[in-house]
Amino acid sequence: MANNGNPTQAYRPYSLKKILTNHTRAVSCVKFSKNGKLFASASLDKTLSVWSSETLTKLFSLTGHSDGISDLAWSSDSTYICSASDDRTLRIWDARSAECVKTLKGHSDIVFCVNFNPQSNLIVSGSFDDTVRIWDVKTGKSLHIIRAHAMPVTSVHFNRDGSLIVSGSHDGSCKIWDASTGALLKTLIDDKVPAVSFAKFSPNGKFILVATLDNTLLWNYSTGKFLKIYSGHKNRVYCIASTFSVTSEKYIVSGSEDHCIYLWDLQGKNLVQKLDGHTDTVVSVTCHPTENMIVSAALDNDRSVRVWVQH
Amino acid sequence: MNAPIIDPLQGDFPEVIEEYLEHGVMKCIAFNRRGTLLAAGCSDGSCVIWDFETRGIAKELRDKDCVAAITSVCWSKYGHRILVSSADKSLTLWDVVKEERIARTTLPQTPLQARLHPGSSTPSICLACPFSSAPMIVDMNTGNTTVLPVSISDTGNGVVPPSRNRFSDGSAPFSPTAACFNKYGDLVYVGNSKGELLIVDHKNVLICGIVPVPGNAVIKNMVFSRNGQYLLTNSNDRTIRIYENLLPLKGGLKFLEESNHAGDEQDGFEKLKAVGSRCLALFREFQDSITKVHWKAPCFSGDGEWVIGGSASKGEHKIYIWDKAGHLVKILEGPKEALIDLAWHPVHPIVVSVSLTGLVYIWAKDYTENWSAFAPDFKELEENEEYVEREDEFDLMPETEKVKESDVDEDEEIDIMGVEKDSAFSDSDMSQGEICFLPADPSPDVPEPQDKFVGSNSKQGDSNQSVSALSEEAGQSGRLTSHISTPLEGNIKSEFS
Repeated sequence: MANNGNPTQAYRPYSLKKILTNHTRAVSCVKFSKNGKLFASASLDKTLSVWSSETLTKLFSLTGHSDGISDLAWSSDSTYICSASDDRTLRIWDARSAECVKTLKGHSDIVFCVNFNPQSNLIVSGSFDDTVRIWDVKTGKSLHIIRAHAMPVTSVHFNRDGSLIVSGSHDGSCKIWDASTGALLKTLIDDKVPAVSFAKFSPNGKFILVATLDNTLLWNYSTGKFLKIYSGHKNRVYCIASTFSVTSEKYIVSGSEDHCIYLWDLQGKNLVQKLDGHTDTVVSVTCHPTENMIVSAALDNDRSVRVWVQH
Repeated sequence: MNAPIIDPLQGDFPEVIEEYLEHGVMKCIAFNRRGTLLAAGCSDGSCVIWDFETRGIAKELRDKDCVAAITSVCWSKYGHRILVSSADKSLTLWDVVKEERIARTTLPQTPLQARLHPGSSTPSICLACPFSSAPMIVDMNTGNTTVLPVSISDTGNGVVPPSRNRFSDGSAPFSPTAACFNKYGDLVYVGNSKGELLIVDHKNVLICGIVPVPGNAVIKNMVFSRNGQYLLTNSNDRTIRIYENLLPLKGGLKFLEESNHAGDEQDGFEKLKAVGSRCLALFREFQDSITKVHWKAPCFSGDGEWVIGGSASKGEHKIYIWDKAGHLVKILEGPKEALIDLAWHPVHPIVVSVSLTGLVYIWAKDYTENWSAFAPDFKELEENEEYVEREDEFDLMPETEKVKESDVDEDEEIDIMGVEKDSAFSDSDMSQGEICFLPADPSPDVPEPQDKFVGSNSKQGDSNQSVSALSEEAGQSGRLTSHISTPLEGNIKSEFS
């Protein structure tokens, strides 16, 4: 597990701190709030749970959806949570009052992925109806309906200044859109196989991390070439979210269908650690914005949310 | 920054009306520094702030004491404050985030334009140009006004012109003057009714230099480009003139004072003219020699490369676009309603115009499908390229498989955190806590009888179902696919005065 990048610093491994069991069905997504004080988990049991990062206890549940939830996103000031559900709607919740403030209707099929823009006046959502919608947070109106792909949209994300949106789909393509007009700016991948299961921008917005089945790649989208490949994990079926860990050294973190969490060194691409413990596919991972803490979530056989810290 | 993938082949100016904004009757507009918010003054005395990204209303500044039409609106440099001038002769200074009135002053005459001092992030000094008297510096905190000189006779250092009827405060009757601050606010540039540009030190109320404008026609508007390097004047002789600012951007006043001592011309008018020639140099003139139209609300584009002016002829909504070399590149034609205000977005090729009916039109580039975006290995070429194939290009070579070469160094270090400074904004940004956007709080849904369950037969889902009654009223925007006048007639409400 040697670290290629910096030989003077030995790698400090992550280990399990706590197991949080609360959901009654598979947990589909976990995300830290931007200020790191809270994290939220979404589940197929139609609820979201909001937890305190400090005490690792549950603060409250958010109920209202009539079907399972696939994704959630926090607004930049950590006040609002938006959830994407199989009941074809998105809901905006106030994390202070634990109430649903708004329901966004319009998609004609399962809503699979969601994200706020950095200014948090827009929400982007991707759905099984093959479209990407951009919503006005204040009024709940769809500002743009983009016929983005030929198959379900698996992932949508805004870049650092909110001017671009990246979308990935089961049709194998990864596309970049202009957030203000909804126009297509670039197509990154076009092969029909494998499906693109996840895509997100790097923190500085210059690179895109794309997961296709069995491989995770880091792309430079302006040149259209991929720069790094991270492999070794198992990803054939599910849309597993990966993320950047930047609080100490730079890592790529991803869940896997072999029930483990994989950490690779960003530059060296070598596997740095494999965290095991979950008893089903780890479908979502999230990193604390400032501390070395990872939270992971797993599917039906497991149903737990696990917290890992670095010593 | 999405600079690398935006098509550089298209010209950087707008072409068609993309959308219009409607809220009461709007009279004047101003973008904040980054163009993320658009403030609009209305005929009922309120000032509406639009979130330019969502094209929805972010805030409304309403003062029960002010119900007369707003004549001008101005942002402070980093977006913390807004100054509005109104037809009831008042100036009101607002705190944008708190939505509170900071100060209110009444002037002897209606100010046609008021601009906040651009050098500070919480300015209380402003420059007001009243309807028919000399411009003045107003301190919003104390209410004190300092009238600025509009001709050399006012300061007593020159030949006294033949006496005319004067007001009791000494200013000539009906002498509309235009004035504006330079980029950092240490100098005020005044254009008077004799067609002279005066460079005024507003702290000491002293004219430092004079530039006579060819033609000597009354100057109606003056504005600097965003980078402070060019000054635009709009005169009664139907000509827009661009002057190059020869003074350094920072410390222009100090430079002037030093060069004053250095010069050895005799005192008086000649000396002031000599100083003036060291401050401004005539660069270009724009006019329409065929229709000889008067210009309304001319201004620069955000990067200073383009100049726009609206036609002041009633009954037409025409916007002329010139490049800095003086070529007329486009005339934008809107619905047959007079144009009353115009603004170019600080960053994007977008122009916003206000029509007499109170609607605000947003002009943008015509969206053309970028076909090279549909496949990863398509590349747009500037022109046809002659391709000469290799001798063996089409030969069948069964033994060598074509392997996709990856010419990328996979061991190269990648920086995922580093961010470059935005080149469009030269001043240090975040240190002043600039307000780039106003937090968007979702307006709560009005509870419907079947709230929680989505109808099973919803097809392409009408998104309007979730809009609450509150937001319908708050502001509307309409989308147009072309700028012909007919579609609008049906949308115009009859509530405007």
